[in-house]
Amino acid sequence: MAGGGGALEIPERQKRGKIVRRKKKKRIGFRIDLTPLVDITFLLLTFFMFTTTMLKPQIMEMRIPPEMYAKVEVRASELLTLMLTADNKLYWYKGIADANNKPQEIPISKLRALAIEKNLEPMVKNRLITVLKISPEANYARVVEILDELNQAEIPITEAIAKEVDEKGEPVKRQRKFTIAPLTEEDLKLIEGEVK
Amino acid sequence: MGFVIDLTPLVDITFLLLTFLMFTAKFKSEAEAEKQFTIRRPQVSPDTTKLPERDLAIINIAIDEKNPTDTGYYYGLTNVKDLQQVYQLVPEIPADFYNKALIKVDTVTLGKLIRATLSVRSSTRFAIDADRRVRFKWVEDAMNIMRRNRAFVFNFVTDKKRPGETEKTEKK
Repeated sequence: MAGGGGALEIPERQKRGKIVRRKKKKRIGFRIDLTPLVDITFLLLTFFMFTTTMLKPQIMEMRIPPEMYAKVEVRASELLTLMLTADNKLYWYKGIADANNKPQEIPISKLRALAIEKNLEPMVKNRLITVLKISPEANYARVVEILDELNQAEIPITEAIAKEVDEKGEPVKRQRKFTIAPLTEEDLKLIEGEVK
Repeated sequence: MGFVIDLTPLVDITFLLLTFLMFTAKFKSEAEAEKQFTIRRPQVSPDTTKLPERDLAIINIAIDEKNPTDTGYYYGLTNVKDLQQVYQLVPEIPADFYNKALIKVDTVTLGKLIRATLSVRSSTRFAIDADRRVRFKWVEDAMNIMRRNRAFVFNFVTDKKRPGETEKTEKK
């Protein structure tokens, strides 16, 4: 091995020496072969591009009050009740439901307009309490859809309310009152009365 | 002897994209990696509030793909250090579950886990990540358990509504 190598070295050195001398005259800069670097870069790039998910989950914040046993009295006229039944139908009524004020069915697509309209009625402006009564059998996606519609309705409501000015000359702040309650047998009877 | 194309701009852009993707890429949390199920989240209007990554406790309500009647609660914590302490506070959890970041729980254990989580780190944020096909009862029960254990603020994990996918939620 060593002998063979040595025998080969002599002519190579001569050759190399010549090349180096020639190059020394002409060389301005030098070149590095970037091909492997670019190969790896492309590989990594494709990997990251295929594995990245741009769609990230978002959140809907909820605040629930601590358990309270004290009864709070509210005016019936300031209540907007929404009821989601087991078959995912949505009903609404304002105040107290009776023969003249029956729960009406409403498609979710019209809920936003309803919430805006009812919240901005002059008599109950900024005081309306929205109660969402949900059947335990209802679909979770439906519930979130309703919450989303109500959240979206808050934007124009807050805007409209902020146009008014209080005694100090500052824009009125929106006070949102919202609660979730279970759907009771009595509520179902109200709805059945409407269906009949 | 052939021709040469200047690849410099191409390589520039490639490096730029590569660095961008490398810096924005995030590894899955252990709880997420241990998920044996896929959750189809409810879809809502686009929002800028994103799921926090640190000190997050997630209650998954998932439907078993193989057995659709088998819905269950899964509890996971993104903070692995806290997780060990939390597990030790809950005697219901066997020791061989300590290395898991996501465990299937019943309602009693869920309540104890929530309480233990809050006692270990009170700033932990809670999220309910439920499948959109589940009945509301599951979510309601989870909310009541959280209320009883003094976790009053939490988040529903949702996905951005994409056009053309609006009617899929009709399924029960």
